[in-house]
Amino acid sequence: MALLRVSSHAIGDEADLTGAVGEGDGGVPQGAELIRFAECATRGNEDLSEARKALQAAVGLEAFVLAACTVGIFNGLVRTADSIGIPVDRGMVGRTADFRQDLGLNHFSGSRNTELSNEATDTGPTAIPDLFGN
Amino acid sequence: MSLFDYAQHGYRVPESVVKAQRAAWQKIAQPGSWWTGAQRVEMARLCRQARSQRNDPPWLRAQSSEAGSVLPDQVVEIVRRVSVDMHSIDQVWAKECIENLGDAAYVEICAVTVCITAVDSFAEALGVPMEELPSPLPGEPNLFRPEGTSDVGAFVPLLDPFAGPNVSRALSLRPDDNMMFHALVGSMYALSDFQDLVWEDRPLSRPQVELVAARVSSINECFY
Repeated sequence: MALLRVSSHAIGDEADLTGAVGEGDGGVPQGAELIRFAECATRGNEDLSEARKALQAAVGLEAFVLAACTVGIFNGLVRTADSIGIPVDRGMVGRTADFRQDLGLNHFSGSRNTELSNEATDTGPTAIPDLFGN
Repeated sequence: MSLFDYAQHGYRVPESVVKAQRAAWQKIAQPGSWWTGAQRVEMARLCRQARSQRNDPPWLRAQSSEAGSVLPDQVVEIVRRVSVDMHSIDQVWAKECIENLGDAAYVEICAVTVCITAVDSFAEALGVPMEELPSPLPGEPNLFRPEGTSDVGAFVPLLDPFAGPNVSRALSLRPDDNMMFHALVGSMYALSDFQDLVWEDRPLSRPQVELVAARVSSINECFY
């Protein structure tokens, strides 16, 4: 979600982070179709076929394939993180405090792998410094 | 017919993605450090079975008892939880698994499961049949456990020091499998251009890709 925000800022836009929790269209072009596709593909529900068609019509086949790549690899990445119990990287807890609270992310089951009590002082460099201006 | 031939279904999938998926299939079939090729392919089969039943109520799901001859019950349960029941994974449960199996052996199970999940999720998203699982290759696990790891707050020790995000070293107790997974990450998401906030040569913008990524993460209740 932090990457959604900073990459949006980089092109002079302001993404709507509530799109990540299923509200609105995320404030990006074709956001509604992208969100619906991500939801249906991840849940494997019966609307997936329609979601595919809608996204293909909105962005074209090449972009559709890239969206499918993103769905696939992030279903792997989230399982990597939570099966190994890795904590959020140093410097990121403080940087994400504002929207984590607002969006209810602190209640996610994966949050138990990260110490949240130090978010006010977690302002050091991140493991991906260039992205966050350190 | 070649593996991962998406063109037959009308999709032009980047060659780098096809190459990484073919390499993953080859690697999964080989003996690892703690499990044989037959055991790794069985983990892949169990992951696929669990995913296919993820929307069914528990009492309608097929049992995986036939895996007992190849894999201990605890391994079957690890694959199932990582595949479809991540919310139930916590430190207490992981610690019990790691005490019984060993930390690197636990990581190897997770690594196989996440790679199969990524490849199968992609096929499902595209709407194409899943690739047939590879035939296991003979050989014994090499019992390799890397040096240079330490406790950084995860369930298992990770490579340390390390210049990168924790997710990139999460599977570092199994270096070969970590490379296999990150070849998939590099081709399906980003590698050398990860630091670039503006992607100008892709059919979707970086914020569009990150919106999909964030929604998938949120549905899975992944905090990382």
